[in-house]
Amino acid sequence: MKILEIKNLRKRFGDTEVLKGVDLSLQKGEVLSIIGSSGGGKTTLLRCMNFLERANCGEIVVNGKTVYSAKEGEKPEVSPEAQLSFGLVFQQFNLFPQYSVIENLMLAPKLRAKGKAGGETVDEIRTRAESLLLRVGLEEKADDYPCQLSGGQQQRVAIARALMLAPEILCFDEPTSSLDPELTGEVLNVIRSLKDNGHTMIIVTHEMEFARYVSDRVVFMADGVIEEEGTPDEVFGNPKSEKTKAFLSVGMGKL
Amino acid sequence: MELFIEVFSKLGNGFIIALLLFALTLILAIPLGLVMCFCTMSKFKPLSLFSKLIVWVLRGTPLMLQVFAIFYLPGLLKLFVWPQMNTGWVWFDNTFSTRFIAALVAFAINYAAYFSEIYRGGIESIPKGQYEAGQVLGLTKKQVFFKIVLLQVIKRIIPPMSNEIITLIKDTALANTIAVYELIFEAKEFMTVDGLIWPLFVAGGFYLVFVGLLTILFGRLEKKLDYFKA
Repeated sequence: MKILEIKNLRKRFGDTEVLKGVDLSLQKGEVLSIIGSSGGGKTTLLRCMNFLERANCGEIVVNGKTVYSAKEGEKPEVSPEAQLSFGLVFQQFNLFPQYSVIENLMLAPKLRAKGKAGGETVDEIRTRAESLLLRVGLEEKADDYPCQLSGGQQQRVAIARALMLAPEILCFDEPTSSLDPELTGEVLNVIRSLKDNGHTMIIVTHEMEFARYVSDRVVFMADGVIEEEGTPDEVFGNPKSEKTKAFLSVGMGKL
Repeated sequence: MELFIEVFSKLGNGFIIALLLFALTLILAIPLGLVMCFCTMSKFKPLSLFSKLIVWVLRGTPLMLQVFAIFYLPGLLKLFVWPQMNTGWVWFDNTFSTRFIAALVAFAINYAAYFSEIYRGGIESIPKGQYEAGQVLGLTKKQVFFKIVLLQVIKRIIPPMSNEIITLIKDTALANTIAVYELIFEAKEFMTVDGLIWPLFVAGGFYLVFVGLLTILFGRLEKKLDYFKA
């Protein structure tokens, strides 16, 4: 079953066209990695999906329901439901510094439940937050503040915070790019365990090894279009496009 | 001894007036500054340009001049521009309470201009990622501002705000130019009438003690928000 379908998504910043018509679809439970050189449009695609940027035109369909549809010159509103179909984990974590770890997790669900009849109680939210912290291995840090945590720990909190809202699709924007090499492992382990739990995920990454290992499908983006798409073995093992070949060989050459 | 008591009671009264001017100015200028700040940050160009112009004038001319302007301008307007406006109602006549109000108005708008720039700096220094994280978690713009951004802004603006607030208590002395009987006015009376210099230094001591208290207060506030880094 298709959980996500993106049709002909285009995004311009001024005169620069960053996304030149991207089509993409995703099955429930699938893990998709997006690779490609900087400036290729990977992050912009992810930000358009999370409505941090509004695509100039194109459609986003979640579970068969069109949540975003823009024609040239329009700027459609985004409903809260559409926003919450997607979760996003940032490169810079973006935890809220004045709140403890558990408060970071509880803030958004608490604000959502407030004033709604039959909504979640604070105790229920806390129980859920605690079990998610257990899942990312940080149950003992519940009352710490973000400034007391390592980068890897902060990113795991950020993942748990995104999961609190149970998004249909969890997106990662270069989740390990601002981490020391020895801290990337703990974050990647958490992402892998989410895959085992059947989460649908889209990961923009420069960790080629990890992308190859964790993904069901890999997309290579260049110059605002999807240049190549396939299983990790197809894209990494036997790339067809010249651009993909060039990108991967440069990457390998660095090693 | 009698003179001593007289000096202290007169200066004490002057200090109470100074404190009153100080407190009322803060009560008015802190929220007014926020309004000015939102106006200068507005996406509606005419509004932001107009409020930037106001802030420029308020910060670009001496506070003493502004005190005079607020005090005399309405009367001058009535005299020359609208002489027919004879309603019997006077903006600032020569009673103490209207002189005090004229000083208060001048102080409040002048300090609001400075505060607005401090607020703007604080708000603009919050990383974009905080707003974006709030948005992807489904928070409304209002919730993002009040639940996420505001406390971080407050933490960042405490040092510059405490600076301005310390300056304010000393600036209240400018009110003596329109005969508001505050601390310096009273001290000057002893100098001109009785030929005494030392009451001026006692007046200085009043300011010094009060600023010391403010410093301790702001130090505590800073410490209270020390539990997080932003």
